[in-house]
Amino acid sequence: MKDTLALLQKFNAHPDSRCWYVAWNPKGTLLASCGGDRAIRIWGREGDSWECKTVLQDGHQRAVRKVAWSPCGNYLASASFDATTCIWKKKNDDFEVSCPQTIDQMLCDDSKIWPVRASHCLCFFQCLTVLEGHENEVKCVAWAPTGNLLATCSRDKSVWIWEVDEEDEYECVSVVNSHTQDVKHVVWHPTQELLASCSYDNNVCVYKEEDDDWECRATLEGHTSTVWGLTFDPSGQRLASCSDDRTVKIWKECQPGGGQGTDTAWKCVCTLSGFHGRTVYDIAWCPLTGALATACGDDGVRVFKEDETADPDQPVFSLSAHVPKAHSQDVNCIAWNPKEAGLLVSCSDNGEIAVWNYQSEV
Amino acid sequence: MVSQFSGVLQLTDLDDFITPSQECVKPVKVEKKQGRSVAKIQIEDDGSYFQVKQDGGKQKLEKAKITLNDCLACSGCITSAESVLITQQSHEEIYRVLRNNKQAGVAEQKVVVVSVSPQSRASLAARYGLSSSEAGRRLTAFFKGLGVHHVFDTSFSRTFSLLESQREFVERFHRKEQDKQALPMLASACPGWICYAEKTHGEFILPYVSSTRSPQQMMGSLVKGFFAGQQGLNPQQIYHVTVMPCYDKKLEASRPDFYLEEADTREVDCVITSGEVVKMLEEEKVLLSDVEPAPLDTMFSSVCGDELLGHAGSGSGGYLHHVFTHAARQLFGEEVKELTYKTLKNKDFQEVTLERDGVVVLRFAATYGFRNIQNLVQKLKRGKSPYHFVEVMACPSGCLNGGGQVKPLPEQNNKELLQQVEDLYKEERPLVPEEDQHVAELYQSWLQSVGEERARELLHTQYHAVDKATNGLLVKW
Repeated sequence: MKDTLALLQKFNAHPDSRCWYVAWNPKGTLLASCGGDRAIRIWGREGDSWECKTVLQDGHQRAVRKVAWSPCGNYLASASFDATTCIWKKKNDDFEVSCPQTIDQMLCDDSKIWPVRASHCLCFFQCLTVLEGHENEVKCVAWAPTGNLLATCSRDKSVWIWEVDEEDEYECVSVVNSHTQDVKHVVWHPTQELLASCSYDNNVCVYKEEDDDWECRATLEGHTSTVWGLTFDPSGQRLASCSDDRTVKIWKECQPGGGQGTDTAWKCVCTLSGFHGRTVYDIAWCPLTGALATACGDDGVRVFKEDETADPDQPVFSLSAHVPKAHSQDVNCIAWNPKEAGLLVSCSDNGEIAVWNYQSEV
Repeated sequence: MVSQFSGVLQLTDLDDFITPSQECVKPVKVEKKQGRSVAKIQIEDDGSYFQVKQDGGKQKLEKAKITLNDCLACSGCITSAESVLITQQSHEEIYRVLRNNKQAGVAEQKVVVVSVSPQSRASLAARYGLSSSEAGRRLTAFFKGLGVHHVFDTSFSRTFSLLESQREFVERFHRKEQDKQALPMLASACPGWICYAEKTHGEFILPYVSSTRSPQQMMGSLVKGFFAGQQGLNPQQIYHVTVMPCYDKKLEASRPDFYLEEADTREVDCVITSGEVVKMLEEEKVLLSDVEPAPLDTMFSSVCGDELLGHAGSGSGGYLHHVFTHAARQLFGEEVKELTYKTLKNKDFQEVTLERDGVVVLRFAATYGFRNIQNLVQKLKRGKSPYHFVEVMACPSGCLNGGGQVKPLPEQNNKELLQQVEDLYKEERPLVPEEDQHVAELYQSWLQSVGEERARELLHTQYHAVDKATNGLLVKW
């Protein structure tokens, strides 16, 4: 039996616009998408299909580039080209509403809640706060595994770390200027307070907190063009990056030579080249199976599998599944469901979201 | 090249303050018309181009336009605000002026004045193993040896800044009920902070910013105002250099508000950093510690014997300290002997309070570094700032850690060096601003005599909200 990547469903998420990003909530029950139409949509499964639960429309003045769920699943952060980051709070758990009158009542109660009378399950979000400070387009937002830190990055070349207190107040903890160009993506380590960012300057930076400030502890050089995406492996020991140079690189932290507080060193232990026809825009490492999925500018979706027998310091990945025309335009994002093995979602410049099932013979 | 300006200024985009040169070197593609390829082009005196046709008739040619795409492809436009500032104000410029002086006739000669900041002195003292005053004496000798006429100390002009800040605070405190934008008063000595405020928060934040001039610009007023008058010189005949711990001060010196229109000269002509002084010493192949000390110029320096005097409080000027102690005394009759600083979120965010009968009547803070400035401004915007006064500085750890300070030697550690510089800075005996006789005299003799309006111009300044540049050429893609 060959490994397969089967299309389950494809639907238009952002009409007449790009779909920039998709993110699963920690429970794997909801999918958030955002796009060039400045909207955020929350999708939930109804039987075999996905339905829109909510549209968050007036939060941003320009395209929403990325969305991220907090580890507890109650908050959603959205990063926009309008230079702000919105924090949305989920007001309730999904519940059934049978009486239409009750829905109308709820709509009147709170002015900033946008539900959609799409089906019997509704989902309410409220805009909690707007984080300002970046000079221009915010490219990414990410929550730390501990839930009380948030990272954002921007075309202004900086990476900001924010802290949230018990009263849901956000304050800037650090502003780090390690990149020399537009910072495209930030990602947190799955368990530690360790942050990684990647940029148009072809580098990846790794940050740690030192004293009371965040610093860049390592600069990973190797890509020969913009690095668009980053993802940690399930254990957090390795980092995968994808680039405009059409390669994917796997990085591993080397044990430091000795002494406290020394900069850590990350080595590139594997490069996957010759697989992608164009820029690789996104990469996702499945927390359940260890499979590596990529989103490419050649409209294709690919899944790579790691060779179990290889030396851990010299990993070997092979192309396990490939859908050449997954979408009719660039694939911008790819995301594995955190609870259901093999469930994969991709989105594209044509505004579509595609849901896939990946099966691999062990 | 990695920018040497403060982190706050880097994020603000200097090009919105100084428009980069828009002279293009790219050859332009012109639409070729059918017909004879031979044509004569004549350039008129005013620079316009005319095509002279075969029958002698002239046709004015249109100016060639470059599209944004062409502009991005061309690397001819290398001038950026940063490079303008750094080349216009450098130690090479000073050498040029000093060289000119040697060769010029008496009429063209300039009186060269150098004003050294105490933070730069401390930084140089640390590098050469001297005390701050010893460094001051040797710098005096070094500069004079190059042809400089006077070497002053900006702790002297800082006394004016502190006195004016104290008075301004009390005045704002008195009108806080009627004027919601009177408090918190935000210190304004740091140009990195000022430019960020003007650019990013504009009209919202400017009313809170103190109008008091910084020590550098107070010295500008003193040198090109009082000193010029006293010496019977036109301000243009003075070349005023300041030695500062950061590059942001170069931007401050080039502000239009500090340009004397009538005399067609700036109050401060050239700002060089502590690091640039080291370059000068290295070029002269001399160690500061080997220079024979010279007596200090006392005209605009706070001197006691051969020791330079400083001020109590932070290494960034002591604004919080002085405004607090003055306010406590003036407003609440309290003599504060020692301030208790409480560290909040991080070491660059500190608070001082005055309590009366268990109630906090004065709450002051010092916020250094971009992240703390961010939080301060955001809190202010949400109406949640509890402070009456904030000493705002763009650089983490303040001016002693400025971007222009002498860098650590290979074997030195950044933190250790900073501690050393701080220790040397604090060694200077503090002078109480209200007790400075020399300053009091100048208030009486000079500032009284020019009238209230002129005095205000000399001691205070204004701020202007800057629009974000929408010009396509200036956008960095």
